[in-house]
Amino acid sequence: MKLQHYLGGLEGLPAPLTLEKRVFVEEWEKRIFGIHVAMMGLSTHLDSALPAYPISEVPTEFRDEWTWASLRTGAEAMNPFDYFKFRYYEKWLGGISQFFVDQGYVTEQEISALIGDPAPAPVGGDPAIDEQVIDYLRRGDSPRRDIAHPKFSVGDPVRIADVPAGSHTRLPGYLRARSGTVTRIFEGDYGYFVHTGDGIGDPMPIYIVEFTPEELWGVRAEPGANTLYAELFEAYLQPIEEAK
Amino acid sequence: MSEQFAYPSDREQSSADRVAALERLLIEKGVITGETVDKVLAYFESEMTPLNGQKIVVKAWTDPDFAARVVVDTPAALSELDLPEGMAGAEGEHLQAVANEPGVHNLVICTLCSCFPWPVLGLPPYWYKDPVFRARAAREPRTVLTEVGVQLADDTEIKVWDSSGHSRWFVIPERPAGTEHFTEEELMSLVTTESMMGVALAGQPV
Repeated sequence: MKLQHYLGGLEGLPAPLTLEKRVFVEEWEKRIFGIHVAMMGLSTHLDSALPAYPISEVPTEFRDEWTWASLRTGAEAMNPFDYFKFRYYEKWLGGISQFFVDQGYVTEQEISALIGDPAPAPVGGDPAIDEQVIDYLRRGDSPRRDIAHPKFSVGDPVRIADVPAGSHTRLPGYLRARSGTVTRIFEGDYGYFVHTGDGIGDPMPIYIVEFTPEELWGVRAEPGANTLYAELFEAYLQPIEEAK
Repeated sequence: MSEQFAYPSDREQSSADRVAALERLLIEKGVITGETVDKVLAYFESEMTPLNGQKIVVKAWTDPDFAARVVVDTPAALSELDLPEGMAGAEGEHLQAVANEPGVHNLVICTLCSCFPWPVLGLPPYWYKDPVFRARAAREPRTVLTEVGVQLADDTEIKVWDSSGHSRWFVIPERPAGTEHFTEEELMSLVTTESMMGVALAGQPV
């Protein structure tokens, strides 16, 4: 059981909320965001994406797969204390710099040697790298694949699977073993960047499932007319046999 | 425990130094160019901004047929508008609008990470990524909305959408009363990022 999978509904957290409306609260955060986007736009898997990007022809030294799943898997693997301790882009910086060290692109010694070095960043580089990154931003990486053959129909009652936690999941923990109702079936099947170990990865239907607060939170549900909708891969749904 | 929760005294400077060193090394080694990060940032600063969302909402407010279409097939409806190339690009591959109406208020959250409709609203503000917001909005949306200044009638249904799948959700807020004679520009000024995710109403003072 990983805290990061069970964030939804966690109690005892600070109130009242105030909304920090800035996207970046420190200038340095912009740089790690840009590096992450570049990695996604240069990821080796993009040759099999729906716009078949000619990724092997792009003159970058980046030769790995890097997707949202990479970043999320890292965040879900964190010590949960650290997950709460560090700000959003601090977690990105930790995960991404560790990736580049682990994969041998850079060493900690090289990073340390540059700390405090006032020299400006180098300029130049092959503009075809940047063209690929921006092309990725404009055309994306849709997970939609085949025509769906959904097992469930709108109106079906379903119970949400309660499988052992994988290294990564798209199943919010608070929905595990809860019952809901299918309210929509999306057209097409949807893959996921990786096989998470808890059932998703290959193309499959995605549904919207409706839950009542009472089902999710029992007697501690917030009073009032609330409904929660989650978008769930078919692997996370199980049929409920109607009582005869 | 003190070590677990202590931050280094140079918390921000050490991060700034580390990312600067990393970016410099990646440029030197040919992973990215000297302009890659700036070009990515410029894309979001100049093209993929909340202005796109404001245009979509005002179109829905002023064209009932569009308002009906945009919640059924959001990408098709958006393709009718004069928006930048790339509305179906990264984090916009499967956009889905939901509309507020009398008696129904929508709230978009992402309890697992920070899924956000980049082409419509740009990059997510910090509040959307805040673990406290993500945790509490799933369980007590009415309380959370009250805390941030959205007072709803007791019988208004709150629909919470947890972005756990492929869709990137956004909200068409209700057009405020008394704006019948507003120009499109005046109407757009009422639409905030927060109102398009459901933590504010259109026209609510910020």
